[in-house]
This record gives sequence, C-alpha cells and structure tokens, in this order.
Amino acid sequence: MRKVFAVALALFASSVFSQETIKIGVITDKVGPAKPYSEPTLEGIQFGASEINRAGGVLGRKVELLIEDDQGRPDISATMARKLVDAGAVFILSITLTPATQQQQNVTLEAKTPQMTPMNSGDTLTTQLANPYFWQTGPLGSVQIATLLSHARSKQLKRVALISDNSDLGQLLARFFRKGLEASKIEVVTEEVVPRGATSAEPQMQKIRAANPDAMFMAGVLTPENVLILRAYRQMGLKFPIHSSYNLSVPQYMSVAKGLLNGITFVDAYDPEKPEVKKFEADYRKATGKLPYNIHGYGYDGIRMVAEAIKRAGSSDKEKIRAAMQSLTYSGVMGARGMKYVFPEGKRTGFDPNGMVVRVYEGDKQGRVIHVGQK
Amino acid sequence: MRDFLELSVSAAASGCIYGLVALAYLLMIRPTGIINFAVGEWAMVGAFGGFLFLSRIELPYPVGMATVLGFMLLVGWATERIAVRPLVERGAPLLAPILALLGMLVVFRESISLGFGPDPHQVPEPFGFEHHKTWIIAAVIVVFAAVWLFFEKTTTGKAFEAVSLNRKAAALMGINLSRVTAASFAGGAAAAGLAGLLVAPNVSAHYLMGVPLAIQGFTALVIGGVGRVEGALLGGLLVAFAEQLTVRYAPLPAGYAQGVPLLLLMVFLLVRPTGLLRARA
Repeated sequence: MRKVFAVALALFASSVFSQETIKIGVITDKVGPAKPYSEPTLEGIQFGASEINRAGGVLGRKVELLIEDDQGRPDISATMARKLVDAGAVFILSITLTPATQQQQNVTLEAKTPQMTPMNSGDTLTTQLANPYFWQTGPLGSVQIATLLSHARSKQLKRVALISDNSDLGQLLARFFRKGLEASKIEVVTEEVVPRGATSAEPQMQKIRAANPDAMFMAGVLTPENVLILRAYRQMGLKFPIHSSYNLSVPQYMSVAKGLLNGITFVDAYDPEKPEVKKFEADYRKATGKLPYNIHGYGYDGIRMVAEAIKRAGSSDKEKIRAAMQSLTYSGVMGARGMKYVFPEGKRTGFDPNGMVVRVYEGDKQGRVIHVGQK
Repeated sequence: MRDFLELSVSAAASGCIYGLVALAYLLMIRPTGIINFAVGEWAMVGAFGGFLFLSRIELPYPVGMATVLGFMLLVGWATERIAVRPLVERGAPLLAPILALLGMLVVFRESISLGFGPDPHQVPEPFGFEHHKTWIIAAVIVVFAAVWLFFEKTTTGKAFEAVSLNRKAAALMGINLSRVTAASFAGGAAAAGLAGLLVAPNVSAHYLMGVPLAIQGFTALVIGGVGRVEGALLGGLLVAFAEQLTVRYAPLPAGYAQGVPLLLLMVFLLVRPTGLLRARA
C-alpha cells in the first residue's frame, strides 16, 4: 500500500513539475545539409533559453526546449511537428531547411500552434500557405539582393555575372538575385552553377571571364563550392568585384578561404559594432567559453521573441500567444543599429527590409559595415 | 587556346583525384569482388586527417602526409576485420559485406560529424595554391606507377592477381586469402585517403564530401574498366575532361552539364560494361 502511495505521489509530482514548464518545440537538422546553420542557431536558442530561465523564466515558469531532428527532410518534418504538438509544445521554432519548414506548416495550421523560423530566408514560406500561426524573422532572400543592389547602384553596374551552386536554397537565391538584377535594369550576361561535390570551378569562371562583366554576384550557400569559386577567381587573376549573399558572412570562410577574401563585399544581418551585439557576444562567451557569430544571433533573437510573446499573452494559451506575436515589436541582436522586428497586421515576415548591412572583407577578416538598408 | 590549356590542367588534376578513388575501388574489387561504396567516406577521413595533422598539430607536410597514409592503412585493415571478414568466414553471400560496408559509410560520416562538427575545415597545400594542381598530378602519377610496378613486378603483386583470377586455385597454391583481402582493403583505404588529402585544400575538409567523390570514382572505374590499374586513371581523366569541357564549351543551360558523367556511366554500362581497358588474359 505504501509503495502504491509512493508511486502515485511521484506521478503526481512529475505531473505538477511538467505543468510548471512552458514547452517550446525546436525542429532542427542534426545530420543533413542544414546542419552547419542549424547547429549554431540551436546553440543560440539554448543560450537564450538558459538566460531566460536564469532570470526567472516566463510567467514564473521555466522554459523547456523539446528538440527534434528532422535530418533536413521535408518528408519527416511534419511528423516531428505533430510529435511536438502532441507533447504539449505551445510554440515551435523551425531551424531546418526551408522545404521542411514549409511542410511543418500543414501541422501547425491544423493544430493552431504558433510556429516561427528565425533563420530560413526563402521568400515563399509566408506566401504559399495562409497560415496565421507562422512567422519568419530571418532576412528574406529578396531583402538580401535588394540590399546588395542598393550598394551596387552606387557602382554604376551595367553587366554582371551570377554564380551559384545547385542546392535548393542556392537555386532559390539565384532566382531572387536574377529577378532583382533584371528589375534594376542590370543585365545578367552569364549565369553559372557549380554543382555540389565539384572539384574545380575553373570552367564556370572561364565563361564568366569571357563575358567580361562589371561585377560578379555569388548566390551560392555551399561553403566548399564557394571556396572553389574564390580559388579560381584568384588563380585566374580576375579583377572584377565580387558581391556575395549572406553565406560569406559565416566566419568559417576566414579559415577555409584564407588569402582569397580581401575586398569581397557580402550582405549580413549582423553589425559587430552594435551595442546589443557586443553585449550578446560578451554574455555568450562568459557562459559558454566560445565566441558566437551571426547565426547564433538568429536563434537567440528567435527564442527571446517567443518568450516575449508568451509574456505579453499573459498565458500559455496558443491563441493568445498568436495574437501577442502578431503585435510584437522587438529589438534584438540581429539587424542594423536601431532595427526592430515588427509584424504589421497581415504580414508575417518580421525582419525590417532596411535592416541588413553590407560589409567588406579586409584581408581575411570580416570588416566594417559599408552600407545599410536598401536606400 | 589559353582557356583550353588552363582547363586541361584543371581537368587533369580533377581526373587524378577521381582516378585515385577508382583505384581504391579496384584494389578491393579485384581480389574480393566486393564493391565498397564507403571509399568516399575514406577520402573524407583522409581529408580530416590532413586537417588534424597538418592544420591543427602543424606537422611538416611529408610527416603529416605519411601519418595520414599510415592511419588510413589501419582504417582499411580494421574495416575489413570488423565489417567483412566475419561475414566471409560465415559463408555469407557477396551482397552481405557490400551492405555492411554501406553501414560503415554512415558510421564514418557520423563519427567525423560528431568529432569535428559540421563546419568545413582548412587543409594546407604543400607548395601554395598556385602549384597545387601540379602537385596533385605529380603525386598521383607516382602512386599509379608504384601500384602498376607492384602488380607487374613483385611476387606479392602477382599473388593478388592470382587471387583475382581464381580464389580457390590461389588458395590451393598456398596464397593466404585472408591476408590478401586485408591488404587490399588497407591499400584501398590509403588510396582513397590520399585522394581526400589532395582534394581537401581545394574544397576544404567537410563531412559531406564523401558521396560525390564515391560517385565520380565509381563512374571512372566503370569507364576505365575494373581489369587494369591504368584503367582507373584513364577513366578518371575521361570523366573530368568530359565534365569540365562540357561546362565550358557545350551550349547547355547552367547546371545541365553536371549530368554528363552520369550519361557516360549509363552509356558504358549498356555498351561496354567491361570498360575501356579489359583485363589481360
């Protein structure tokens, strides 16, 4: 009898404890192609969650992260979302590939569960499905190209080359780049693709050299293939300027493309001189012993925004959280100085279109901000 | 003309890498009949060996390279002991070790991913990036010459050939089949590891680099033929030249040219499945 009582007490206690946490689901990619981005984003989320919990949690309750791995596969991603909904997650953060995030929306729309991706950049995530429970806070691909083009306008470019890789995201970004360039009346004289797993980009760079462009735009997101492009560029002694997507903002380039980077401009959502960034970097380093970089910031801002929305909702009711999220205004680590995430009614992409910056490599170091926004 | 000459050097260097991976396949297929699709992951392990010994520990290049090759010999030997020999000794069909090695592919990739993280890592060149293609071509020619001499001029090499011709007869002649199998896996791992070490300065060492190399190497093997060592190199060069000349000169939309090696693979499988060079009678 005593044993039965003890078991019942333990069950009751665990039930009370589980009610005390606010469960936030995270769908990440631990083994697939998004892993290089998903891992630092997850670290940023975990750091943010621990910071929130150290400060007393949200609504007096601790935040509990329920982490699932979808391997970057859209075919199993929706199942992961369903699992998290069933486990009691009141919000789901998706930090996997764009197509996988798209699939999860079928579940979050049906289950009326708030969902956000703090890092996907595909423009179509909020347009393919009218899902009022979904938000996107990373800068869109179209915002990247618009920011780069705004910078390029001052350079009087007439004819440019475009190069990318054959990944889904690389192709998507290349399409945005082409569309944006053509809308700005800049002629794309040649468009090349370096396939995943290539061992040389010289044939593609020879074609670009033959087209004699004023500049080259890099839309690829695969680091090894981008390094191949940069090696061929340097080896062939090419002089036209390179403007790159945010992929070159990943700090790994400073080691894997050593000696190849000087003078390349790249779009970024991270200004190292911003006071919020300096504080984030100092706090993260103190807590983990590691220096974070821009991708950690996406995850950190994501979890902080979710916590803020729950706090403003005043409860863990998913409908109230949805309403609070849609009216949220938040100033975080990412974006140019003074940038705020805002979600005007009917709009679910929160990153300010004027919030991106263009930076330049100075030697092998990611250097100063040379341009802000699209103006 | 300048473009063609530049491209010839670039394609020759890429072809040498594919040829080395094809050689790794060939060293195992000839005596055992086993196609080991984990060779790409061995190349990846070799690339990470380069990162560890040359970038992180900063050993002098010849010492680091020798260490990586020695380590790869051990990896190949251990793979045979763990994934192949137990199945062969139990009389399992040929498909069993092939599937077990596919399992090892995942083990290698995930071990590296867990140990080194998902980010690419830099591996240095011995003579600077301007001379790296020349270095690749020179190193691979030396390796192929050595392997060719081994099979043609040494008694041990002839024992390998004997096993590939008729395993039972070779065993009856006193050749130790287990030792030949273990040595073929060790040699295959060393060849694949060298391919990874040589290509890593171009593409960096990263955990997803194995599968594309395994596909290119397999295509080179089918085109060159399984029967002769020089066929692996010939196949590698043909794949790389077809790839790069198509991208540069064929009037195809961007991205379509990458299908050319697969087209070549299908044509050879249909028309000449023995490859360009047949085994000597």
